[in-house]
Amino acid sequence: MSNMKLLEIKCLNKSFNTKEILKDVNLSISSGKIVGLLGKNGAGKTTLIKLINDLLTPTSGEILINGKKIGVETKKVVSYLPERTYLNKQMKVSEVIEYFKDFYKDFDAEKAKKLLKDLDLDIEEHLSKMSKGMQEKVQLVLVMSRKADLYILDEPLGGVDPATRDYILDTILSNFNENASVIISTHLISDIERILDEVIFIDKGEIILQSDADKLRNKEKASIDEIFRRMFKC
Amino acid sequence: MEFTFDNNIPIYIQLLEYMKIYLISGVFKSGEKLPSVREFSNTFKVNPNTMQKALAELESMNLIYTERTNGKYVTKDEKLIEKLKDEYAITLAKSYFQGMKRIGLGKADSIKYLERIDE
Amino acid sequence: MLNKLLKYDLKYMIKNMAIFYILSIFFAITTRILFNMEQSVIINIIGQISVGCMFAMIINTLINTIMRSWVRFRDSLYKDESYLTHTLPVTKNDLYNSKFIQTLIFFFISFIVVLISLFIAYYSKENWLAITNYVKTITTGLNMSTSFFITMAIIIIFLEVFNAIQCGFLGIILGNKMNNGKIGYSVLFGFITYLVAQSLILGLVFVYGLFDSSIMELFKTATINIDVEAFKVLAILSSLLYIMIIFIMSILCKKELNKGVNVE
Repeated sequence: MSNMKLLEIKCLNKSFNTKEILKDVNLSISSGKIVGLLGKNGAGKTTLIKLINDLLTPTSGEILINGKKIGVETKKVVSYLPERTYLNKQMKVSEVIEYFKDFYKDFDAEKAKKLLKDLDLDIEEHLSKMSKGMQEKVQLVLVMSRKADLYILDEPLGGVDPATRDYILDTILSNFNENASVIISTHLISDIERILDEVIFIDKGEIILQSDADKLRNKEKASIDEIFRRMFKC
Repeated sequence: MEFTFDNNIPIYIQLLEYMKIYLISGVFKSGEKLPSVREFSNTFKVNPNTMQKALAELESMNLIYTERTNGKYVTKDEKLIEKLKDEYAITLAKSYFQGMKRIGLGKADSIKYLERIDE
Repeated sequence: MLNKLLKYDLKYMIKNMAIFYILSIFFAITTRILFNMEQSVIINIIGQISVGCMFAMIINTLINTIMRSWVRFRDSLYKDESYLTHTLPVTKNDLYNSKFIQTLIFFFISFIVVLISLFIAYYSKENWLAITNYVKTITTGLNMSTSFFITMAIIIIFLEVFNAIQCGFLGIILGNKMNNGKIGYSVLFGFITYLVAQSLILGLVFVYGLFDSSIMELFKTATINIDVEAFKVLAILSSLLYIMIIFIMSILCKKELNKGVNVE
């Protein structure tokens, strides 16, 4: 089995004009992990995620997925859920499913339809007629219906009711396979820490720590949520 | 069934406790084949890696063993499970007595209270 | 992957442009019907309204085609939808080529719809004769066929506007590299690109004129006493130059896109 990491980030810097958003970020993630990217709002989580997804261009440094630079090949194996609604609102849900099927070989349309049914979402509904919460659920379903190597979920639990929250966590767990990894970026730590293998703390554009979740709990004798609060007390 | 976990304690340690109770109480009998890591983690609603870690701990305690292609089994050593039960019962008893001591009741009184309780 | 991108880009345009095409032709038909009826005050008034609506729809069609091409370009590459666009497993070249071809096709269709509408509304032997006579006053001075003149005029107008649309694309790409005032910069850069493109074409015609004195004459004389051959050469030369500029600019656009985007 090759030693190649699923995601490798080396010396990544991102600035806008003179403002440094990410400073010398180095991290690597192996397959088969559920990783929490934890940090305050404005810490650089979304910027880092956007860089991995080719929505931003690095000022310097390198991002490799399965050893390859960001490009068509890496995009085939990454499934990204942004924090915003990004689907073409003129489309119906069924049309979006066709769209994903067209572009992603690993998209499971049947699974998507089943998940949508579980969440009480009408496939024939136009996205423009759905509430923001419903659109976000549709997006989550589409992302989880792919058999990707790397799932990146940016605040998947924000603005979602507790029942749906549980459903989302269950879906993430049941989707788990040792050839893939999930990165969950969130500031709602206590809801999610139970399912995390590893945690990465990011603050002011720098990686503060990367650790196995249970090891950290053992070391600090506290929950990840508590450890985070201690570290980033205002 | 909902399993509650305290985020302040390593999850795998709490899984270990649940598993020990299952073994002691006979939910999984001596020599019985265990569900897969996958099925366990679905039931407990935890990360499969964490589940795997808890099972690895159980294995290092010789409470379960792995048969390479068949999966995991409860140990055939019933005496080991008895010993585990014994240790667990003593821990429960100790904490009962400690609790009673905190409110000023000694061992004799504690035992009397025990007898007063309906099964 | 290019076909798939194109499929969805075309679908989007059809959904949004169909109504204008239908209405343009509809009012062209009503105009023709009304003007072929027994004229009365009422019919006259309704007829005028119909003409007004038809021209409104024609203008709408043209403006919409251009504006939508720009807005769609910007939205799918730099706004919320870009979160989907840039994460698709497609190359930036394919993304651009799809937009380019979609714009070309729809601009062509809009152009045709406008011509058809005008044709439906106004075609008659007398009208056509009037137009050709008018064109003849220009072309007989040059001893050129009217059909050549009209054809070249249509081709050059088409290329001219399509060039302008693509200048807009480059403007949008460059404008979005700025950190603030992206819309303002997009317009500015688009405008500058357009001026540079036009100047370049003019410049190249001038260079050609250095080798062909008849073309050079066009720069010097103001009278329409020009060599008809020169005019033909000018028409064909301009067309080729426009095509070349369009081609070069699409390469530039793709080059800039490949440098990476920074989406908000």
